[in-house]
Amino acid sequence: MRMRARALVAAALGSALALSGCAPGTGGSSGSAGSGKGTVQMVLWPGPEGDAMSKVVAKYNAGQGKKDGVKVDMTLLSRQDTFSKEATLMASRSSNEDIYFVASYNVGQFAASLDPLTSIDASNYFPVAVNGLKYQGKQYALPLDVSNHFTLYRKDLIDKLLHDAAQRAAYEKIARKVIGQARAPKPVDDWDWNDFKATAAYFSKSTNPTSPTRYGTILQAKNLLYNTMIWNDVLWGMGGSWTKNGKADLTSPAAQQAIKLYADVYKNHWTSPDSSQAEFPETQAALKSGNTAFAVQWSAGFAELNDKSKSPGVAGKMAIGAVPGHKTHVHALAVALNKYSKNKAAANKFLTYLSKPQAMSIYAQAGGIPAMPQVLQDKASLNPAFPMIAKSIQQYGYAEPVFPKTFDAYSKLAEDLSGAWVGTSAPGSAAKTANDDLQSLLQ
Amino acid sequence: MPAHSKAGGRGARWILSAPLIIFAAVFVVVPVYQGVQTSFYNLTLQQPIAAFNGLANYAELFTSPGFLHAARFTVLFALAVTTLETVFGFGLALLLNRAFPGKKVLFTMLLVPIMIAPALLGVMFRLVLNSDIGLVPALLDKVGLHIFLFSPNAIVPLLVLLDVLQWTPFTFLVMYAGLQSFPTDVLEAAQIDGADRRRTLMSVVLPIMKPVIFAAVFLRLIDAIRTFDVVYVLTAGGPGTRTTTLSIFIYKTAFESGDFGLAAAASTVILVVLLPIVPFLVRRITREEP
Repeated sequence: MRMRARALVAAALGSALALSGCAPGTGGSSGSAGSGKGTVQMVLWPGPEGDAMSKVVAKYNAGQGKKDGVKVDMTLLSRQDTFSKEATLMASRSSNEDIYFVASYNVGQFAASLDPLTSIDASNYFPVAVNGLKYQGKQYALPLDVSNHFTLYRKDLIDKLLHDAAQRAAYEKIARKVIGQARAPKPVDDWDWNDFKATAAYFSKSTNPTSPTRYGTILQAKNLLYNTMIWNDVLWGMGGSWTKNGKADLTSPAAQQAIKLYADVYKNHWTSPDSSQAEFPETQAALKSGNTAFAVQWSAGFAELNDKSKSPGVAGKMAIGAVPGHKTHVHALAVALNKYSKNKAAANKFLTYLSKPQAMSIYAQAGGIPAMPQVLQDKASLNPAFPMIAKSIQQYGYAEPVFPKTFDAYSKLAEDLSGAWVGTSAPGSAAKTANDDLQSLLQ
Repeated sequence: MPAHSKAGGRGARWILSAPLIIFAAVFVVVPVYQGVQTSFYNLTLQQPIAAFNGLANYAELFTSPGFLHAARFTVLFALAVTTLETVFGFGLALLLNRAFPGKKVLFTMLLVPIMIAPALLGVMFRLVLNSDIGLVPALLDKVGLHIFLFSPNAIVPLLVLLDVLQWTPFTFLVMYAGLQSFPTDVLEAAQIDGADRRRTLMSVVLPIMKPVIFAAVFLRLIDAIRTFDVVYVLTAGGPGTRTTTLSIFIYKTAFESGDFGLAAAASTVILVVLLPIVPFLVRRITREEP
């Protein structure tokens, strides 16, 4: 018995020693410049960005790369898991990849494993995209692709509402009921969030049995960090923000109103009850099916809805307008230099090439949405939405604050608020929980 | 047996087991050891240089409402689905434990769900159950049933239902195999003694099948506690944290919060809770073998 006890104590001590002695990565080099030549390993995710980037890489390898003595080898990870896999590489301070794929919403979290970009000209980019990739005053990544939001709507239905006297009268009556004031219908570009609410009610059978659609809109209310970005448009559009004077500000009147707007739309069935689990694909499906009149959606959704082969029911009837309240979240998908890379000089040569409008023109031609306003204007013939994206980002774009736990904050806010958006928790207590969580993440 | 031949037998045993032992060491023991080790460190994406912090991650975990809620939901979910899957699996095994036309086709169809990758099944459910483009809501609409399967009140029963659809074939298969090796002389004796169907089931079949049922229950329970794929694809743990399982909690802690130490601590807790079940299960199976 005594022997057994001794053996147990010895085992416990041994384990403690082993656990404290061989830490999971307590040291490691911080990379090196390398020879400035050779192969540069880069990670990107698949989809339009990966496809477009592969054309840029091919062009570089065949031309400028030869002069630089650099060959870029790009790996496409899965779209769902790119950031998880990168996080694992970063946690183990791996030097396998020289260039990481990052975004405005996680650059603060990844900054400890990245080198600031000090010698790259960022003057050709949207300032909001560049600022979204700055952390503690330093530029940590080079913008590649921009994403923002628009109101995608049924032009046929909205035009009829704007020009038909009987419909206008019915709308005014509904507006008085749901927002408490008489209001005439307006073009989408002029909407504030009250117009959004009144129009959602007007196009919903629950409030207007003669509505041509079942629901006015679809909220992306799933507990998903990307859905926080869409809700942020409501918050910013109502004059709020995540923070005020460096402190969390999610109990502000604007934040309370923004939560209440979602809760009202959901409670009154101006969005499908299933939208509690909706994100990008469900929004596309709702608009495609003709069940829904309009939605705030990512810019990438528009092309598919106007493609006759993919959306036969609504193609040609869809239009694109500004987000109500005229504030759109903007994030940049970007590339950054691994702090532990052993080939930084060569990687920097490629990053310098990417920062040129010529490289981003190739990127746009290959289907990407580059973060350079001039390139978007110049390439309007490739995609008619390009000038709208440029105008919208320049006029209405905002970026959330960047701090080490920004990514976590998006996720936490989705977790704290998604219940209130769909009525499973009280808006007031959800706002308080979200505020407390954000405050602790800011510290 | 001569001593040298005994030693030779032992040597052959080690040589034959070596690939499995090496595989287990590389892919099980080392990662588990590193995972447990990480749970005693502060290792985050913001601080990739690990610092020993003793039991701090565990202290944080057991005072975290998110972890406690996820643990409660996971246990209730696992108990509910395991119970239903055991009952339905056993019922199906009894039903199919006889010859009838079309048995092979039905058997094959029943096994389809366990042949599909869970994440893929999640994506399929998401499409098929979508209220705008899904087949199931369209059919329900046709018969006048307007049910919103993803609404907050329906989501937990839906997840239970989908898990039952996916994993009942597994419990069925285990119990069907058990029934196939059932000693028929015992059934004949019960029949001669005048036992009716119910009596035979309760007093003969169930007691003899107990080890097999235990095996099915515990294997499913362990797996249900690790539930991730379908729930993550369909709800990502929401609305709010209503459907957050322990695995989703761990995934988000590691890859969204970037806190690998805390995530490793949560994984270790699950390991410690589940590990004692294994010898218990082995004991039950080996002790009560028919």
